Amino acid sequence: MRKYIAIFKSQIQITFAYSAWFWASMISAVFQLIILFYFWHAVYQNSDTIGNMNIKQMITYVMIATILGKFMNGAGSQLAGDIRTGQIATELMRPYNLLHKLMAMDLGGKTSDFIQSAVPLLVVAGLFFSITLPESLTAGILFVVSSILGILLAGVFDLIIGLLAFWTINTWGLRILRNAIVLFFSGSLIPISLFPPSMQLISQYLPFQSMVYVPVSIYTGAISGQDAWMAMGAQLFWIVFIYAVLRASWSQALRKVTIFGG
Amino acid sequence: MIEVKDLSKDYIILKRKPGLSGAIRSLFIREKEIKQAVDHISFEIKPGEVVGYIGPNGAGKSTTIKMLCGILTPSHGEIRVNGVVPYQNRKQNAINIGAVYGQRTQLFWDIPVRESYELLRHIYEIPKNDFEARMKHFTEYLNLGPILDIPVRQLSLGQKMRCELAASFLHNPAVVFLDEPTIGLDVAVKENIRKFIREMNHLYGTTVILTTHDMEDIEQLCQRIIIIDNGSILYDGDLVAVKERFGHQRTIHFEMPQTDHFKLPASLESTVDVAEITESRVSLLFSSRDIKGAEVIAIMMAEYEVNDLTIKDTSIETIVKEIYERGI
Repeated sequence: MRKYIAIFKSQIQITFAYSAWFWASMISAVFQLIILFYFWHAVYQNSDTIGNMNIKQMITYVMIATILGKFMNGAGSQLAGDIRTGQIATELMRPYNLLHKLMAMDLGGKTSDFIQSAVPLLVVAGLFFSITLPESLTAGILFVVSSILGILLAGVFDLIIGLLAFWTINTWGLRILRNAIVLFFSGSLIPISLFPPSMQLISQYLPFQSMVYVPVSIYTGAISGQDAWMAMGAQLFWIVFIYAVLRASWSQALRKVTIFGG
Repeated sequence: MIEVKDLSKDYIILKRKPGLSGAIRSLFIREKEIKQAVDHISFEIKPGEVVGYIGPNGAGKSTTIKMLCGILTPSHGEIRVNGVVPYQNRKQNAINIGAVYGQRTQLFWDIPVRESYELLRHIYEIPKNDFEARMKHFTEYLNLGPILDIPVRQLSLGQKMRCELAASFLHNPAVVFLDEPTIGLDVAVKENIRKFIREMNHLYGTTVILTTHDMEDIEQLCQRIIIIDNGSILYDGDLVAVKERFGHQRTIHFEMPQTDHFKLPASLESTVDVAEITESRVSLLFSSRDIKGAEVIAIMMAEYEVNDLTIKDTSIETIVKEIYERGI
């Protein structure tokens, strides 16, 4: 465990070192928030509520969801790159589990991203776009826990996409498809509650709404009490389930590599 | 230390006919071809040995090393590295081995060398005291001091290779595999690296397996060589014996202002052959058992005006070819 913590810490440092990248992504994120703000103001011009949400709730939802949505990537592209370039051979010679190492790196990067960009963006959103605070203190705490679960879920899911590089040489197309699906079904674009009923039904059986929609709805109070616990249970289920699939396909892929030589 | 018994590795290659029709065909019918990269080889390496594992490209060297590292599962046969079966206990084996791959890095690209080592310390769970003692030693030996604070991606090839080498010995592994550790380096760095390898072998009794195309590397480091070609072992034994048998051929190229009237000096006629004469160059071929190189040079210099000269040793490729053609 100590080795993964060391990797986690070192990745925090590495991510902090890329300051140009940081400012570029910061500025684009602020623009995104400005666009969201005016877009939803225009939408609300002719009505007070849309799908039971007033403008304030909606702005709060989309801004938190947009910021959280920035954490829905993972180490999958790194894994795919290692596989494509053959660097995976060196990785396999190390006394660690490569999947856990990649997760530690990913979480390290996200931790520094959180400190350097999510926190300032939340402050900007709070000061200039008047997003509301969480429904209650409990909702606030549950939101934090649920966000972490959502980020973990997205991380393991992303590794599965990266792992597919063992079978398809390039995962670029898959990645675009994944991004589109996650953007839409995670609820980072619009709340799932605005979807038509049939889509909502489909979404309920998919893991994606556990990534963004669940934590942000806990924040806004759209999901609370018993439902919040249920939703977090579902998050946990998906993490365990997808992790199990990941491990199974990982050992399958390794067997393929070590027996067939790639 | 290393036991390899009757080891084989087959690759399955999917054959594809060229062109679009071939691509479509391959969707339905897959033709398989089996290539035997390593073919029933056996050898044993004792603790503390430095062994040159040599052969031409594609001979099966890398495949063998990958199996010893646990990255490939053998198709047939047994391997044991320090008592561990590599492909069954990859993580356990990883602690026992270190490796340098000429073209790949094991350092962390974005962080300074020093922090890479710090990270490796945690990954290999090296006790802090051991780590510091060894770091001090390596810094001195490989002259790492000035480059420890530079990120790996900014290092030159020679600097990188020195850092890689230190990284592979950092956890004091029982066996180190070095794949072309001196490729593309200048003479001073090569010398530095060889000295370091000798020292590590001496101090810690590290077993070293070296693949290289550089005859110098082998002569300076190895007592024993294993020559492999087409997946089979051609020779396994003393370096001296091979050198005596095959390493005696020399070629000397003389750069001369005039070659029109060149005739081999009479005193060389019985021992030396003229390999080639061009407008500005004469190449002489001889065996160092029959005549010393210095003697050939002295006689040539006395008879002709010579601007420059180069002496060529027997290359690994030539030795392998000779063994292959004539046997040992």
